[in-house]
Amino acid sequence: MRLSCGSLYRILLILVLIGGMAACQKKPASSGGAMGGEGAAMGGGFGSGDMGGLNQAKYRELGLNTPEEIREFENRRAAFENQDIYYDYDSYVLTEPAKRILDEKISFLKRYARVRVTVEGHCDERGTTEYNLALGERRANSALQYIRNSGLSIQNLTSVSYGKERPVAMGHDEASWAKNRRAHFVLNF
Amino acid sequence: MIFRKGSFLAMFCWRHCRPWLRLLLILPLLAVGMSRLAHAQAQRFELDLTNPNFQRIAIAIPDFKRQSSEQTQLAREMGETLAGDLDFSGIFRPLDPKGFLEDPQTMGLNAPEIKFPDWRRLGADYMVRGNYLVQGGTVKIEARLFDVAAGRPVIAKAYEGDVRTWRAMIHRFADEILYALTGERGVFDTKIAYVQSMGKNKEIFISDFDGNNPVQASRDNSLCLSPAWNPQMSQIAYVSYRDGNAKIYLLNLQDGSSRLLCGYPGMNISPAWRPGRPELAVTLTRDGNPDIFLVSASSGQILQKLVQGRSINVSPDWSPDGRSLAFVSDESGNPQIYAIDVGSGQKRRLTFSGTYNTSPSWSPKGDFIAYSGTVGGRHHIFIMKTDGSGNRQLTDGDGDDVSPTWSPDGRMIAFSSTRQGGSAIWVSSVNGIGVRRLTRQGGGQELPDWSPRMSGR
Repeated sequence: MRLSCGSLYRILLILVLIGGMAACQKKPASSGGAMGGEGAAMGGGFGSGDMGGLNQAKYRELGLNTPEEIREFENRRAAFENQDIYYDYDSYVLTEPAKRILDEKISFLKRYARVRVTVEGHCDERGTTEYNLALGERRANSALQYIRNSGLSIQNLTSVSYGKERPVAMGHDEASWAKNRRAHFVLNF
Repeated sequence: MIFRKGSFLAMFCWRHCRPWLRLLLILPLLAVGMSRLAHAQAQRFELDLTNPNFQRIAIAIPDFKRQSSEQTQLAREMGETLAGDLDFSGIFRPLDPKGFLEDPQTMGLNAPEIKFPDWRRLGADYMVRGNYLVQGGTVKIEARLFDVAAGRPVIAKAYEGDVRTWRAMIHRFADEILYALTGERGVFDTKIAYVQSMGKNKEIFISDFDGNNPVQASRDNSLCLSPAWNPQMSQIAYVSYRDGNAKIYLLNLQDGSSRLLCGYPGMNISPAWRPGRPELAVTLTRDGNPDIFLVSASSGQILQKLVQGRSINVSPDWSPDGRSLAFVSDESGNPQIYAIDVGSGQKRRLTFSGTYNTSPSWSPKGDFIAYSGTVGGRHHIFIMKTDGSGNRQLTDGDGDDVSPTWSPDGRMIAFSSTRQGGSAIWVSSVNGIGVRRLTRQGGGQELPDWSPRMSGR
């Protein structure tokens, strides 16, 4: 069927509009289709309006510009935040397994040197509130010290202690207590 | 009455008897007079409350007598509140009103109308007769304490005010009873500040001394801990995470506002007001170690570093003369209680038995320190003398008992306990008898701090 000038004009208009919308979407909208899927998996941050906008600015701040860089960062970030280190009862000494986990965190921090990190120190429910606040801080600081000893001069590394106030495991047995004697790492945006 | 009859007889004989007989007349009167004096002085009981064999004083408190038709239920409630207070003190044993013979609404109010032999037979040492009148929004309460054996009144008090404050009036009379019989007021108008769990947050609450009328005091929507009353009962120092990390704030009880006192880098925890001076002891980790500092109560400025070292130093608590500080240190390898004389800097260790001793609380009388120690893996409340000797276990059983705090008259200790599941505030008299639960709300209650008495009383 031969297109009339009018309908050709209309089609052109529509194409321009679509093209305009595509261009208006924030980067990396150029490969928005491929990222859309993974964006959804990541919580729908990509190309979904405001949410995507906020993250994009932050990523740029951290020196992440391409979708691949961002994807890799998010994967490593999950490991960085989700893997806690654990301590023995009434102790803030770093065990060997704890040091291995800290070594991985150190490589993350070496790679993404501009992140802001808070280390949380926690205790199990036994013992009294105030002593545990101090012990929790000792735990957070021993992890921080280990990180600083590796030569990293991260400005944005702080610690906070929650003592026994924020347990992750609610049981009253050693299995739960062991999970609560921990240092937890949080990235701040 | 005997005295009156006797004096009539004496005057008759005086006029008509020989001089040497007058001496005979005088002597019995003197004897009666002296024994009354002795009896009046014996009203003050030498109460050794630390003695576990202490015998409570039996007291009868019938319903108060109504003198109007308004608020008739207060007749029973006033009697029960007074009985509850006196029972709470650990000194009195209120008798069961069901055993009383007379109808309290027809019974007399004054000594001549009271059938003391009946009360004696019931086993009462003392009896309270009260009456009240409600008119509009005002109540007038009169209350008298009677010595049953002697058949005479000991104290009589009258109160008047807004009917909604009737409970406070009853509490005041309970304090007067304690003062008349023991030489020291009770603690029935004092308060307890504590931490209440609210979902993920914890806020500071205040209740009456008996756990009634809980009121939310802090509104930080965050983690709040360690409330501490100031000696004037006008402020509560506490720890809050509302700004991200642990800082010390002062809650103004007049208007509910709170302001930052200590926000140094690191942690700011464990506030303890110094008796007699506008200062607090606090634990700060600003120098890299949990150390105890003296700070100004108005500005939070550091005045002195009291305890330092390479160990954890927390939980300071002052002696009532403000010269010494008890605190927890793990310099020996695990937490133990120490005391330091602030003037000389001399430090001594107080606890040597057990591997985990914390939460020292110095009695307002200055003679004992309560603390939490572990026995068989469980925390319980202990008392020791201020040189660390004579330590005695006060609580036992299920659960963990921690955070002791003394009543201002040094007779009772409140603490938090998980013996019935979740954490609640409990109280024990200093002889370990009469352990009872104070708080019953959902969530958990912990970290109690017993208020001072209101100033001027």
